[in-house]
Amino acid sequence: MAKDDPTPNETIVVIDDDYAMRLSCRKILEKSGFQVETFEDGVQGLEGVARLKPGLVVVDLKMPGMSGLEVIARVHSIDPNIILVVITGYATIDTAVEAMKSGAYDFLPKPFAPDELRLIVNRGLERRRLVLEGHRFEVERALLKRRFVTFVSHQLQTPLVAVHQYLDVLKRLGDHPDVTVKREEWINRCLHRIEAMQVMVKEWLELSAVESEALTRSRDEVNLRAVIDDIFSAYQPQAETEQVALESDLPEGTCAVAGDRHCVAVLFDNLVANAIKYNRAGGKVTVAAEVRNGEVTVSVADTGIGIPEKYIPFLFDEFFRVKDEAARKTSGSGLGLAICRRIVAEMGGSIVVESKVNAGSVFRVSLPAWRQKESNAA
Amino acid sequence: MKTILIVDDDADFAEAVASYLRANGFQVLEARDGAEGLRTARMTHPDLVIMDVVMSERTEGFFTVQEMRRTASLKDVPIFVVSSLYSQHPEFSIAPESGWLAHDAFFSKPVDMVLFLEQIRQRLGIEEVAG
Repeated sequence: MAKDDPTPNETIVVIDDDYAMRLSCRKILEKSGFQVETFEDGVQGLEGVARLKPGLVVVDLKMPGMSGLEVIARVHSIDPNIILVVITGYATIDTAVEAMKSGAYDFLPKPFAPDELRLIVNRGLERRRLVLEGHRFEVERALLKRRFVTFVSHQLQTPLVAVHQYLDVLKRLGDHPDVTVKREEWINRCLHRIEAMQVMVKEWLELSAVESEALTRSRDEVNLRAVIDDIFSAYQPQAETEQVALESDLPEGTCAVAGDRHCVAVLFDNLVANAIKYNRAGGKVTVAAEVRNGEVTVSVADTGIGIPEKYIPFLFDEFFRVKDEAARKTSGSGLGLAICRRIVAEMGGSIVVESKVNAGSVFRVSLPAWRQKESNAA
Repeated sequence: MKTILIVDDDADFAEAVASYLRANGFQVLEARDGAEGLRTARMTHPDLVIMDVVMSERTEGFFTVQEMRRTASLKDVPIFVVSSLYSQHPEFSIAPESGWLAHDAFFSKPVDMVLFLEQIRQRLGIEEVAG
């Protein structure tokens, strides 16, 4: 929604003892698409507020009976997120200050032009929207965090339980013939589970490091060619074992992004590792880049199993793993792409994926290009 | 010989428990998920089911327990629930009187195999063979 648009169907309550003022407020605001209800005193107004749950209340400061200031306080005890705009004929600094102190959002001296009222109302509702969004964001973050803790404990617990159970049975059954034949296999399985757990802990720490912001805040010149060359030479043996060719197609000349070298390395390390892991024998991994409008877009493409479309929205979630048969054969913590997303977001870039089942996937990362003027001092 | 069905998505946990039970004279069947567990249970009619309640699809184990209770031929088969969930997680606590796990025991993972075996034998009315 554009900033200046009134929120459609948002209800506004006007409380003013002056009939003409109620009428003109209604006319002005209805013209902007709001639902308007008017009341002639504080008591009726508050009943209306409790019933209608408006986004904003326009209230006259000086009314017989309940004063505007009291109305403000009571409206906020109904819902602290209702925006209050005060109108007053006694526009002195004192009354304004007092109204603001009581929690009013803004005030409008009489007489005012229709556009002045509209402007204040729209600004007030915009603020309300931001505040509510902020709340939602906080709630979402708390939920995510709790989910994360639950998942981590589950992810750590499951392999620990398996290892524990093997050892328990090995101990209890001692020299039972069933055990002697299986002892070596079981020990190997335990080692495998422990190794997988170690990878997970390592990646989890990496994720927290990225989250801690300090790492991603630096904006150094990071030469992509050097980063990709390092990653390729590190993965060459694995790629050979899996019969996957590694190819890079970076533009001539320097191709650098602004960021933290370690983070950029972790980012492409994860993408290249995935591209090898989810590939096929005889396939290839291609890393290409292009510089345009101050942005470097790097694509990491594989010729592997691809990702079914239904999984794509969850691909970058923590601990998400594709559950299809083809993907089951590979191991992973489910944190790699979450780390990538975090790094890219912290660097002010974007990451998207295009994929075709049984043909391959392309991860496209856009990052801010490094410019000469930029430096850590800035 | 009594038959026990283990429904657990962790092949290693299932293997360890199954081996211990086999070594103690049981026939053991394994299933990796709730649907497979239900299918196997309907076909083989085991004497007891060991069910993990947090498998890949969070609530799957619970639904499988319910589904077994609704199946006429399975509704009296004892179900031992195993889970690595901590009991202090309030969102997962289940009131025993809720009927979800009626009559069945709840064990936390990892299980103490000696105690577990004892409970299984007790439930199935098996006298422990000396030695």
